[in-house]
Amino acid sequence: MSDLIQLGAVNERPKAPRGEDLQLKFSEKAIAQLDALKAHYPEEKACILPGLWIAQREYGGTLTAEAIAEVAHRLHRSYAEVEGVATFYSMYNTAHAVGAHMIEVCTCLSCHVCGAYRVADYLKEKLGVGFGETTPDGLFTLHEVECLNACDRAPLLQVGDQYYGPVGPAEIDALLEKLRTSPPTVTQLADEIVKVHLKAEEPR
Amino acid sequence: MAAVVSTDTVKVTINGVEIEVPKGELIVESVKRLGLEIPIFCYHPRMKPVGMCRMCLVEVGFKQPDGSVRMMPKPQAGCTLPASDNMVVLTDTEAIHRDRKGVLEFLLINHPLDCPICDRGGECPLQNNTLSYGPSTSRFIEMKRHAHKAFPLSQYVTLDLERCIQCGRCVRFTEEISGDSQLAFRFRGASMQPATYQLTDFESKFSGNVIEICPVGALTNAKYRFRARPWDLETKPGICTVTPCGTNVWFDYRAGKFIRLNGRTNEEVNEEWTADRTKFGHDFYNSPNRLKAPNLRTETGFKGAGWSDVYAEILAHFEGKGSEVGVITEANLSNEDLFMLQKLFRKGFASQNIDHRLSGGWQSFEERLENKLGLNTVQTTIAELENVPASLVFATSLADEQPMTFLRLRKGWFQNGTKVISATSHPTEVDQFAHVILRYKPGTEARLAAGLAHASGAALEGLEKFNPEATEQATGVPANLIREAGEILREAGARILTTHSLLTTSEGSVACEILAGLAHKAGHKFSCLGLKANTAGAKELGLLPDTLPGGIKNSNPGKDTRQMLEDAARGKLKALWLVNCDPLTDFPDRDLAEKALENVEFLVVQHHQAIEACEYASVVLPMTLPAEQDGTFTSSERRVQRMAPVLSAPGEAKASWRIFAELLLRIQPSTPPFGPKDVMEEISREVPTFAGVNYGALDGPGVLIAQPELGEPNLNSLGGTLSKV
Repeated sequence: MSDLIQLGAVNERPKAPRGEDLQLKFSEKAIAQLDALKAHYPEEKACILPGLWIAQREYGGTLTAEAIAEVAHRLHRSYAEVEGVATFYSMYNTAHAVGAHMIEVCTCLSCHVCGAYRVADYLKEKLGVGFGETTPDGLFTLHEVECLNACDRAPLLQVGDQYYGPVGPAEIDALLEKLRTSPPTVTQLADEIVKVHLKAEEPR
Repeated sequence: MAAVVSTDTVKVTINGVEIEVPKGELIVESVKRLGLEIPIFCYHPRMKPVGMCRMCLVEVGFKQPDGSVRMMPKPQAGCTLPASDNMVVLTDTEAIHRDRKGVLEFLLINHPLDCPICDRGGECPLQNNTLSYGPSTSRFIEMKRHAHKAFPLSQYVTLDLERCIQCGRCVRFTEEISGDSQLAFRFRGASMQPATYQLTDFESKFSGNVIEICPVGALTNAKYRFRARPWDLETKPGICTVTPCGTNVWFDYRAGKFIRLNGRTNEEVNEEWTADRTKFGHDFYNSPNRLKAPNLRTETGFKGAGWSDVYAEILAHFEGKGSEVGVITEANLSNEDLFMLQKLFRKGFASQNIDHRLSGGWQSFEERLENKLGLNTVQTTIAELENVPASLVFATSLADEQPMTFLRLRKGWFQNGTKVISATSHPTEVDQFAHVILRYKPGTEARLAAGLAHASGAALEGLEKFNPEATEQATGVPANLIREAGEILREAGARILTTHSLLTTSEGSVACEILAGLAHKAGHKFSCLGLKANTAGAKELGLLPDTLPGGIKNSNPGKDTRQMLEDAARGKLKALWLVNCDPLTDFPDRDLAEKALENVEFLVVQHHQAIEACEYASVVLPMTLPAEQDGTFTSSERRVQRMAPVLSAPGEAKASWRIFAELLLRIQPSTPPFGPKDVMEEISREVPTFAGVNYGALDGPGVLIAQPELGEPNLNSLGGTLSKV
């Protein structure tokens, strides 16, 4: 929410972009996948969630306002409706731009008992960022998450669709080294999820 | 969604009283049949239930075959519970009272309780329900959630997020009723906010309604913020005179000053909604430029004068001058004003130069549908759009020009699956739910109408050359879409809607004829709706140079607006009277209007505010606005509704009908009408379509005036018209 507006001040809300002014970024593959997914459902509204996953992949891991607008435009929904859906779910990255790899630290009970905050502090120190922040080189984003449902491996990290645990400083160092050279896991995760929705004969 | 289709009934026992209700009716509605009340926040009878606020909890059980009652273990939300046989509902038990207290305690956890400075304070469902059903204290001692106050979603709607109880009424309104879906819940949990995409401008044309349906003070009226407390306001019923739909409203005023408008329920017209044009478009009541006294031009400038001096001056220039004088008005005066105006000019001044059409569409008597084809111009009503198989919206931005017609059309699509064809040259709101969108090149209206008639198989003469391919060539609309639209129009019972703005286009009146012919042949109904609050009345009451009241041909026709202005510019028209209109801003050709006002010898400007044309005036007359006088208006669907006086007139301003009546009395001494009621009696005597309309009959939803008596429809001339396109 922006600043408090004084009574009587001229209201200068920006206008939402019009459909024809949008800078559409979906690749041909993404458009083909979206078209295929649309056919899975009786109406386009139902395709918002998979559509947002495609957008998260196409826009490099973050659902920017433009990404949300593009999904809405392609599914003939209102921008607000799609934004409402996108901001509801925590696995859509709408709050801020994420790095190539999102390191999610579980801090729920089992992990907490097994030293999740020591792991988190080590990561914070090593990366030089706090929770919800991205390293300046754009590689890593650190997040605190609720129970990842793998208490047997506490303390636990999630990167992309992989779990790493139990982890200590040595494992974390090795993991970060590996991630530095691997392709971005945030878009990989989005791609995996899109593929889960698609049938074998559809464009993957 | 109070409407229930099934006619089966079931027996429900509510608080020990057995009643029969339609099967599937929501319990929250059934309870009202007994005069009981269930507190609600999120439930709204015109929208789908969501069960978000849990305020309407009731205890529910079922009668068993052995006569005992088995209660459900937990309370149920009455707003999502359909009535079924043998149901037992308890709304007044101790458990329910405790549950309500609990729900309210939760809702109030984050509610700021700034009622003393809240606009909604005094008319707030949350306040009322808390008083009636809530706990006296809260156990919540932690910090409340804080958010910015007074966030302007648009120039009309201000969001106070702290007060929001997340009922979703506003979100559902934009989704289900207005259809623009501009509001949605962003984020979740405690940070959930009903807002627009990226907090951009809330541009809906019906945004004002969310203010009224908000059960707390979260969405407030930016124009009304902090201007009054509800208990200081007085209110009276009225109708909107800005849109042509006849929207029913409440005029709220304080110390004689107009403050705000709210929607008033009329199931036949606006249900309970208002357009932003209505809700925020009545600022002129408080304009600082209101005219308060008559003025006469002297050599040194304007000088205040008494009414009798002004009348003498006017009579000196108008009386006995016949066709050398004329009057231009606009159709936003009441029926009584308009009738007295034409009577003054026809009987008093013996002049037929009368016109109410300022911005175009100057059809002559012979060109009008009634007289050319024997078909009525307005055959539909707003309410019937709810239950029609298909509708064609032709060449109009319906949400702008006919907001209530638009809402009803959309309701028909949303609830009953009306197939809508949108044929406009530019994108409109109707496109969002249209089955077929026909986007034609501007200026090809008649050819598209003919193409549609051809595709729907209407047997009209001269249609042969408008097959879909030829129509595509001419209009740019793909042939397959024309075929699809034609298929929809093959089934009888559709409504074809257009407005007078079609008549201002080059092919407009031909398109109008073709559509009316198509509707007649295929069993549809056609309407070409007016654009001003009283266009239908002005036409019926003969505010036209070639038509007398009742649609009778004038054997000695006068001049229309353009001819009058042309004559005035050449100095041939000696005196001109402008009633409630400004040709400088509204006439399409400003140069001609300027020249006319400069060159006319004597110009009377009768208006409620100081407008630009006053600069040219010889006499300026102050008139009252609709809410300051008694009168009736004929909405575009030909519904006569009464606008009783709400405010007092400023200064010496007089009602228009009185000005005309007083002048007529000076020319022809006779018993004058003592009030608009007498004028309406005269109208109902003299104009056949108004027969039976009197002030006694106008309470309630208003009266639809009769259709004029027309002979057999005669579509022969259509062939000739078509061959010319």
